[in-house]
Amino acid sequence: MTADTPKPAAADAVASAATRARNELARLVSYIVFGVAAVYCVWRASSLPTSRWEPLGAGSFPKLVFIVLAALCLFAAIKSVIDIHRNGGMPEAVYAFGRWLKIRRISFAIYGLLVIYLGVLSTLGFSLATFGFLLIAQLLIAGVTRRTVIQSVIAALVFSFGLNMLFADVFNVFLPRGVLIAF
Amino acid sequence: MLDAFFQGAHQVFAFDTLIYMLIGSVAGIVAAAIPGFTVTMAIILTLPLTFAMEPLQGISVMLSVYVGGYTGGLISAALLGIPGTPSSVATTFDAFPMARNGEPGRALSLGVWASFFGTIISTLVLIVAAPPLAVVAVRLGPWEYFSLIVFALTIVASLVGNSLIRGLIAGVIGLGLATIGPDPMMGRPRLTFDMDLLAPGLPFLVVLIGIFAISQLLDEVEIHGKKVNHALIPKSIDFKTWEVMREVLMRPVNLIRSSLVGVVIGALPGAGGSIANLLAYDQAKRSSKTPEKFGQGIADGVVASEAGNSATAGGGLIPLISLGIPGSAVDAILMASLMVHGISVGPRLILDHADLVYGMFIALTVASFMMLVVCVASMRLFLRVTDIPKQFIVPTVMICCVIGAFALNNRMGDLYLLGAIGLVGYILKCLDYPLAPLVLGVILGPIAETNLRRALMSDGDWTVFFTRPISALFLAAAVLSVILSIRSIWKAHKKGNGNKDALA
Repeated sequence: MTADTPKPAAADAVASAATRARNELARLVSYIVFGVAAVYCVWRASSLPTSRWEPLGAGSFPKLVFIVLAALCLFAAIKSVIDIHRNGGMPEAVYAFGRWLKIRRISFAIYGLLVIYLGVLSTLGFSLATFGFLLIAQLLIAGVTRRTVIQSVIAALVFSFGLNMLFADVFNVFLPRGVLIAF
Repeated sequence: MLDAFFQGAHQVFAFDTLIYMLIGSVAGIVAAAIPGFTVTMAIILTLPLTFAMEPLQGISVMLSVYVGGYTGGLISAALLGIPGTPSSVATTFDAFPMARNGEPGRALSLGVWASFFGTIISTLVLIVAAPPLAVVAVRLGPWEYFSLIVFALTIVASLVGNSLIRGLIAGVIGLGLATIGPDPMMGRPRLTFDMDLLAPGLPFLVVLIGIFAISQLLDEVEIHGKKVNHALIPKSIDFKTWEVMREVLMRPVNLIRSSLVGVVIGALPGAGGSIANLLAYDQAKRSSKTPEKFGQGIADGVVASEAGNSATAGGGLIPLISLGIPGSAVDAILMASLMVHGISVGPRLILDHADLVYGMFIALTVASFMMLVVCVASMRLFLRVTDIPKQFIVPTVMICCVIGAFALNNRMGDLYLLGAIGLVGYILKCLDYPLAPLVLGVILGPIAETNLRRALMSDGDWTVFFTRPISALFLAAAVLSVILSIRSIWKAHKKGNGNKDALA
């Protein structure tokens, strides 16, 4: 132990309080988002016309569900604000948020890649789009070296063109062929 | 009667029938192991192949796919934490942590043996109690169904994880998601926000894949100060099939109770494996002396879930054989298959085609033995999945999820929903929301709404829910279940055993 870390226990306590505050802040945001969305859905469900055939119309059940959701979110949000206050307030929470994002950077990169893949799937077709997705995703996870590039190209070829052929020829499930190339 | 039995046995044990059944069993296991490919889909793909077969031969092959499918879902549930089918959602709770704790072989073996015994027990119940159980099942009206769903929703308390409030929010979000799209009674569009994408509603399987699979896969590649391209389960695999069989048999109460839950839920038209595995898991947790160990990789959890979902195979055949009412989509396809061969399904089936009915009983038993043999023989092959580095398995399984979601309706819109729901699932997972209650809400929401509205259309008086005996019984069970859950959470909170966040 060095002089630079004089109070590890206290430092841990501060760190965990900051972590708790960070988690609670993120949850608070989620409660607010869900709560506002629930109130909006209650309003939309209320505008649905009633039915002459039944006591409950199309809007009653969603209204009931979203009122309960709004109430739960309100309760959870109040509890969250109290917890954030107990754990050192907002500055620590904002500080820790950067680390939260850093830990998840590959996950978010893969998700972004998935969104692009789904966006171009109908245009490029399954085989080509999947080949690109698999290749980039594998290299994102494993890192770029000569070995990983060779492995990734082989795996991407097998699981893009191979899967397409398997589903089309064996299961009669036709995946998007795309306007550019119809594999 | 004995003649009919031997006639049925003679047809099932024909060499070509056994070969076709073996192929069906493998196909069911493989199909169910792919997220998004359900037992129903596997059966639908099999149906045209059976048209040229004899009726019993065709139905035997489909039963093999059925039994194999209920077990196959456990493979991805245990090894990847992704339920291959809706009926293996609860399997992920304990089988996946067990695999992660270095016991993937044990997790798979427990699931396979529990599935095998679950199917056998359900077949025995089917043979002995088909007519009386079917009579009870059909006498249930919308009041009883709604009360049953209310009771089933109390399971949420068992699935909330670290926080009751977040579990409840997740459950209600699930119920809310189920209200998007055409309403179940009149087909009126609601909460679609004028988006074509939402007009048909959210397909349940797309929600399941997005919530469980995409979020789990994104979670796998997070960096916690170490390289991410190692295998999912890096430890060596210990594989003791027969020892695990004894381990399953040493839990007779759990095994029988979970199987009976599966039989009863399977016999109720509209319910099925997706509810049975959660209900069986919930009952096992409530009855356990160590409920706090559930969710950490306990054998009881795996046994309950797998015995529960597999037992619905026999349970679903009860109303089908006795009354001609299919208990689930799969049973409806089995019924269609019989009708294609000119056999009318109904109360006279057992009188007019006794050999066929006995043959079905025998085929179900043979199919479960085949499933066991196939799974035990190929277990090492499946376990090789755990040796594959994440760089290959994560993107490839993601592609399988995309194919599964697309193949449901051949709609690109489902893929966009998959992307959006996947992100929501991942964020909820990061924020420590339990995901199982959300899926439970999506499953139970439409059933609850349909039966509530149907009940009130027949009789606008709300008190009927309390005056009809079976409905009142379910509601009383629901109240009792909530009281017991709150009591156990409160006790854990006071003891300081559970998470401090438990009631938050």
